[in-house]
Amino acid sequence: MKNLIIYSFLVSLIFGCRKDDKINFDGPSLADSFGPFAIIQDLSINQYEVDFSAGQQVVFSMELSKNTNWIIQIEGENSGAVRTIIGNERILSLDNAVWTGGANKFPSFNLEKAYITITFPNEADSPTLLDSVLITGLKQDQGFLITSFEEGLGAAWQQFNQTTVAGTITCDPALAAKGSCFYSWNGTVGWDWAIGSVTIRPPAGGSFGLPANANNLFFNIAFKALQNVGPQNSFLLFWFDEDDNGDGVFTLNSEDRFIFEYWSNTLDWDLISRKYADLKFDADGNVQQTNGNGLTEPSKLISINVFFLANPNNGNAQAYADHLIFTLNEPYQP
Amino acid sequence: MKRIGYILLLLFVSQNFWAQERKFQVNGDARGYMFAKNMLIDPALDSINAPRANYGHTLLDLGFSIFPNANTEIISSFRIRNELGGFWGGGVSFNVRQLTLRGVAGNVVKYNLGDIDLKMTPYTLYNFQEEGSINEAEIFSLRRQVVHYDMFYMPNNTWRMQGAQIGFGLQFNKFLKAIEFSGFITRQRPTDGITIPERLFGGGTITWKQNDKLQFAFNSISLFDLTRTISDSIRYKNNVNTFSLKYRNAINENIDWGFDAEAGFSNVNYINYVNPLAPDLQNDWFYDASFNMHFKKPKIVMNLGYKDVGADFFSPGAQTKRVDFTKFPGVFQQYTNAALGRPINLTDIINFNADYSFQIQDRLMAYNVAYDNINPHGIATPNRRGVYLNAERSDSVKFKRSFIQIAQLFESRGMGTNLKKSFTSIGAGTDIRINDFLGWKRELIVNLGVRHDITSRGGDVFEKINLSSTLIDFGLSVNLVGKLDILFGAKYFQAKGNEFITQRNAFNTVNNFQAIDLDVSETTFAAGLRYKFSEKNQLLVNYQNHQLKNKTTGGINYGISQFNILYTLTF
Repeated sequence: MKNLIIYSFLVSLIFGCRKDDKINFDGPSLADSFGPFAIIQDLSINQYEVDFSAGQQVVFSMELSKNTNWIIQIEGENSGAVRTIIGNERILSLDNAVWTGGANKFPSFNLEKAYITITFPNEADSPTLLDSVLITGLKQDQGFLITSFEEGLGAAWQQFNQTTVAGTITCDPALAAKGSCFYSWNGTVGWDWAIGSVTIRPPAGGSFGLPANANNLFFNIAFKALQNVGPQNSFLLFWFDEDDNGDGVFTLNSEDRFIFEYWSNTLDWDLISRKYADLKFDADGNVQQTNGNGLTEPSKLISINVFFLANPNNGNAQAYADHLIFTLNEPYQP
Repeated sequence: MKRIGYILLLLFVSQNFWAQERKFQVNGDARGYMFAKNMLIDPALDSINAPRANYGHTLLDLGFSIFPNANTEIISSFRIRNELGGFWGGGVSFNVRQLTLRGVAGNVVKYNLGDIDLKMTPYTLYNFQEEGSINEAEIFSLRRQVVHYDMFYMPNNTWRMQGAQIGFGLQFNKFLKAIEFSGFITRQRPTDGITIPERLFGGGTITWKQNDKLQFAFNSISLFDLTRTISDSIRYKNNVNTFSLKYRNAINENIDWGFDAEAGFSNVNYINYVNPLAPDLQNDWFYDASFNMHFKKPKIVMNLGYKDVGADFFSPGAQTKRVDFTKFPGVFQQYTNAALGRPINLTDIINFNADYSFQIQDRLMAYNVAYDNINPHGIATPNRRGVYLNAERSDSVKFKRSFIQIAQLFESRGMGTNLKKSFTSIGAGTDIRINDFLGWKRELIVNLGVRHDITSRGGDVFEKINLSSTLIDFGLSVNLVGKLDILFGAKYFQAKGNEFITQRNAFNTVNNFQAIDLDVSETTFAAGLRYKFSEKNQLLVNYQNHQLKNKTTGGINYGISQFNILYTLTF
């Protein structure tokens, strides 16, 4: 019995030193993830007039009561350009809620007012926050801009249009993919797929001055089909003509013409992007038969022909093209 | 010193070892196991996955024991397995299942080399039972034993490892009775020579036997990476050191009482890891103390204890789970037209369809909160403290074995909140010999087992938890005639409520919680015939129907029916 008392005492001692961690807990706070939703600190925007061309940016700051999905949607008043920023952190800040002037896709923003809408899709009865900023300078493109059709037709360009087609540069900021102007085709050609084309060349002749490496260079152009749309109905056909022998003239019989076609599939502005090195492959992945050295050499590119074709049985065909630009390492970011 | 004598502590030596006249012995196990399964699911939910699966195998484990001399034994076991349908050697595999050298060196040190079965204490090295049974029917346990046999999950909770083990002892005539030493080192993981260092697992125990009533032990175990096995200097190290005490005494000739306790520390180091999530050091401690009574007539053992296992107490040897719940079952792995992975259910575990562990894991493995939320990582589950009571009566003729298990535990550290969860578990079971009540000679035994678990946490709406689960096992075994038995089994499981599934990163740190609602039930019925050619040779033919109903939003209801034949022979 004496032993029993001794051991019972020992047990009591052990129980007396048990841990009880009242301050700390493991893992992220449940309140942060599953607690009631509230806006702890109201939305603030670092500047209401922003010149993206000068490297300025719009920073959204806000503190929420919990981690929850939030969506910042920015929409251009005239261009209709849209930029969406998505997150689910409790605090919106420079780390996760910054707009540098880009759009999700074409069209791009113009010098215009941009309306901001912030929503919390997983929080029932949560408020929708509204605000706006004024864009006073546009985001600077990174890359080699060939044309955005803002300066009119180039001196060395060549146009082709069927007799029933109006194919030319049109200017309307509300319709352009970027800036104010774009190239448009509109007409009915009941006897042929060919609608019209524009051959773009450097103003002073020679090459476009692109880098030599085709493996990290991307060709980009905005394309919008409005009538006769669909992957069986209309497409843009591109000819990339390289001056393999350096004589300043493209000779089809002895130099490389890489052909690339892109079929329309939407009524919206579409970004066509293709790595220059991949231009040597056709749609089936086979190497194209060309008449030059067969190498994709962007530094020798001297003309790009943009050719719109549409199914003659479908009536009128209409399409726009805009902002032809080469970028390094990645496709163009509108 | 003259009075001190050496004694050999041959803890694992079989009877065969001492059969010195024998030089060679052959034994083995043979098995035939065949399944025909049907997935029962609404065709509107699943029209793309094949709903039938037929498979099976026959195998022979041929064991040889060779006794080159009186103090040495070589044990080997070779497995020849033939998948049904693989004619002319197409599905045949031939493996070495066991190769062990054991003996006594210098008449002092006992050693084992090769494949060895190891166990220490429940907080250092212990292969705890998987989920889904409480005194289950024989028709289920016969099949579960196949899994246990193949995975080396022995009834004494050992882990099968590869390495070396030694043991020796000293006996004293004065001051104390004996001191015993045992130790082992095993290889858990070979290096790939590039990024994964070689991992070893070693440990040992020094047991101080003061007298017949009192003994102490120091237990130490370590899971660690070997340096310079790769060019990188990263190294994982986990040490667990415990001190245990066992005391037994008699109150009178019919009643003994005792006290068992174990306490210790663990520490984990991630040395030279560049990952910023890797903690420099994790350490914590635990204790577990219990008071027990042994009544000799009637033969009842009661154990009342209290434990407190720290939230950062990591002991891989004691916390590694048998079933990996992150993997999908081997049969009907995907279901629904969306080809979702089918989560493991209770009969997958019985049928050898789950993914089973054969290595000690350095991470706390994922678990199904519905199946076991109380001690999902065994007795050494971290972040648990509270009282437990176990009682068992085993001498009754009519009630072959009866037991009750109760636990009331709490978290010692909150998960995502300062509030702590509480865990209540009540379980009981018995085997009733109905034939003894009725005076029949032929056996008619009923197995019953019930376990009810409750997890709860208060607080605000977003952090409240209320999860309850119930497991009921029922079995019937009737000796029809001669050696022919009819077996019946039923298993019902139900879980309802909500929980937050704890998600941990590679360093055992909690990094997220997944809120879940549960309203699930599983019902399994099985019936079959067993013919016992002998105690070591039997044939089981049975049919089973399993239904899983998931009333949770978006839950998938399905069932699996199966017919199987199991033939086992031990010689």
